Amino acid sequence: MSDEREEATAETTGAGRLPSPFLRYLGVRLAVSLLLVLGVTLVTFGLTNLVPGDPVAAALGERASSDPQIVAAFRQAQGLDRPLVEQYVVYLGHLLHGNLGTSIQTHNAVATDLAVAVPATAELALFVILLSVVLGIALGVLAALNHNRPPDQLIRAVSLVGISVPSFWLALALYYVFFFKLHLAPGTGRLDPAANPPPTVTGMYTVDALLAGQLDVFGDALAHLVLPGVVLTLYAVGLFVRFTRSAVLDVLGQDYIRAARAKGLPPGQVVFRYLLRGSLLPILTVVGLVFGSLLSGTVLTEQVFGWGGLGQYAFRASTSLDLPAIMGVGLIVGIVYIATNLIIDVAYGLIDPRVRVR
Amino acid sequence: MTRTQVTPIGIGVGAVAITTAMAITGCTTNGGAKGDSTQQGDGSTKTLVVDNAFDLKTSDPARSFEATGNVVDKALYETTVTFTGSDVTKPVPQLTTYAQSADDKTLTLTLTGKHIFSSGNPVTADDIVWSYQRVQGIAGNPSFLLQDPAGKNIEIAKTGSDTVTLTSSVPNSQLPYILPNTSLGILDAKTLEKHGGSSTKSDAAESYLNGNSAGSGPYQLSSYDVNSKVVFGPNPNYTGHKPAYGRVVLQNVLGPQQKINVQSNEAQVALNLNADQVQGLDSGSTRVVKDTSPNVFYLWFSQDPAISQGVTDKPQFLTAVRTGIDYDKILAIAGSGSIQPGGMVPSQFLGAIKPDVTNTTNKSSATAALASAGYKGQTIEFSYPTGTVVNGVDVGTIAQALQSQLQAVGISLKLSGSPSSTFSDAYRAGKLQSGITYWSPDYPDPADYLVFGPGGPLAKRTGWFADSDKNVTAAMDAAVSASGAPARGTAYAAWQRLMNAHSPFVPVVQPGQYLVTASSVSSIVANPVWSVDLATIE
Repeated sequence: MSDEREEATAETTGAGRLPSPFLRYLGVRLAVSLLLVLGVTLVTFGLTNLVPGDPVAAALGERASSDPQIVAAFRQAQGLDRPLVEQYVVYLGHLLHGNLGTSIQTHNAVATDLAVAVPATAELALFVILLSVVLGIALGVLAALNHNRPPDQLIRAVSLVGISVPSFWLALALYYVFFFKLHLAPGTGRLDPAANPPPTVTGMYTVDALLAGQLDVFGDALAHLVLPGVVLTLYAVGLFVRFTRSAVLDVLGQDYIRAARAKGLPPGQVVFRYLLRGSLLPILTVVGLVFGSLLSGTVLTEQVFGWGGLGQYAFRASTSLDLPAIMGVGLIVGIVYIATNLIIDVAYGLIDPRVRVR
Repeated sequence: MTRTQVTPIGIGVGAVAITTAMAITGCTTNGGAKGDSTQQGDGSTKTLVVDNAFDLKTSDPARSFEATGNVVDKALYETTVTFTGSDVTKPVPQLTTYAQSADDKTLTLTLTGKHIFSSGNPVTADDIVWSYQRVQGIAGNPSFLLQDPAGKNIEIAKTGSDTVTLTSSVPNSQLPYILPNTSLGILDAKTLEKHGGSSTKSDAAESYLNGNSAGSGPYQLSSYDVNSKVVFGPNPNYTGHKPAYGRVVLQNVLGPQQKINVQSNEAQVALNLNADQVQGLDSGSTRVVKDTSPNVFYLWFSQDPAISQGVTDKPQFLTAVRTGIDYDKILAIAGSGSIQPGGMVPSQFLGAIKPDVTNTTNKSSATAALASAGYKGQTIEFSYPTGTVVNGVDVGTIAQALQSQLQAVGISLKLSGSPSSTFSDAYRAGKLQSGITYWSPDYPDPADYLVFGPGGPLAKRTGWFADSDKNVTAAMDAAVSASGAPARGTAYAAWQRLMNAHSPFVPVVQPGQYLVTASSVSSIVANPVWSVDLATIE
């Protein structure tokens, strides 16, 4: 019996059913991802310990650091009195139980801190990515379809401004103009100072407020999203416009587009079913990268608006040599990028049959 | 089909999204005009918003030793003795009266009045003993406060139903000035023991205290987020003068945004504006309360022959530095409200002195001293912590100014900045040739500055030991053994004059500090120990 018949027989009878190529691919990618996450923890741990400086210096005051007993107690409590290899192994052991250690700065479990910081950043990132994907792709397509005409030039100028303007300056300028001068936007933070956060489900105030039926809190949270969202959206839109325009221009000259037009298909159908689909792969790549970058936290914007997200947390952890927090942030950021890449790779296959696993 | 006929739907969707967001913004906020909504109602329902650049780590008094932590714990916990307003020269009773023995070794605290924790439990002598022993047992940042000058733990004992004695192994005149520290707030022992509290190292009550308070202060914790916001509500069992604001929000905001917030009444108090930022704010909708900070910027020069290169350990070189600095220009950089301290002890504390001839600008004297030191133009490495801003003054900016001023008298400094933690590590290890940093007082008493005396912890880092200068050491010992405020003041003044002439430390500036309030705030007082008492703001 030939191999193909054997295989077909096995599938037909259900005996020794083989996993589909896609599932095999997914399995391999997940296994590799776990190794990558392990690598991230190792690199983060190594680099953090290579940085000159002692966490004792950052955590204890002058008096306390002059007292050998207090220093010894601190080192023992933080596990810093053990050899580096043992510290790393202990860390991995705790990690397997979901324990990311205790932050030297906040004195909270790192997992607790991240449970607050990550949703804050995720909320902002989702707001930005939704807005910027719609705007960026739309403007990019418009620019490409009006190649070298005034609309194209205007859009390219706007995108250049978007990627060139420093985010911290833009944040302060928008805050000054829209909050202080025009009274159109609320102040810093995720909610009004007098407001209480909604009951925590996701940690994202807009979503949690909706789930709790607190429309006033939802409105307040959404209003606070606008200014930081606009700051980050401007940069993301600038990027998406450029990539979309370039990708669409590549596809515009293809024979199948000419054929679609020649067949008399409606313009909207040509754009959405043929043009966009054909140019989506590079767009998807940059969307994934930007989303990963947003989810990793944007320090400057979060600092200006007092957002309390991952960026601010990471900055404070790094400047104070808060090793457990640094490791926790490194782990989260690593997982974000690995997961984003995996999703993008899978999406490639969905969009373009030519790159599917067989 | 032509290109111009295509109208992407996305543009319309995006425009709708933005319009909707801005409409919601306009509907749900008054923009900058927050004053009315936070000021309505009687005192019990008024909300006060205070902006602060957080350095908060915990609200557990026994572990807290940061500026923001002081603000938080002052609102939640009472101490045995305290200070009134901004006067830190005279401790006054809060939970207890105090009496010091003639040899200054024993301090007796006697409960006075009626004080009740937020749980309803009365404050007892047992709570005082437990709270103090907890500070010692945890061995955290503030535990040194309850060590005597010999480095031994003070013995804490209940000696009567309402009496606690604190016994030191050596004279401890400064103890009444230490007890008002917010890290020594008195906690509800019965409540905390149910939540893992202990007066030993095994204490596990911190996480409870970071969500609930266990004090007898005017406020209790409503919510606590160490990174963004602490909200206080009234303590219904507080027996003191009820605060004007029933709810206080202390939020983490950077300096530039604090200015905008207080001008638009989004916040009623801003704690971290610097001299430049408060320009023009003392009129109209805002007021500025100006004071001098107790933080002292100082230089040091290594006396260790292995590090000094035979330069910085020369007394004449140090004289050249002291008289080569242009103190007026440094004050101008630091901003209005700054002063030049006469010695290491800040101007507000007992024993403070005015600048004298040893630390007055005199370039000809500096040049002559440099020549007699045999200095041949060697480059001195001058270290400082980068990105460190104290009362709005960047340490690096002062370092740059000093470099150019000392260059003018012939001293060549090479600036070597490093991140704060790296700098602190090297400084504490005694590896640095020279540099600038600052000292923030642990408690408002000149004894806190004995660390700079020969053989003190900070002096040792520069290689200046007890036998390095017998005269200064003798003056220091005399100050330690002096008793009573007048004698102590005189002794510490004498010690500082000798320090100015002979020590490797050069105090340079105490920056100004500014509280900015909205016009709705009628009364606010700065305090060198806890910055501001939220309960006394009106």
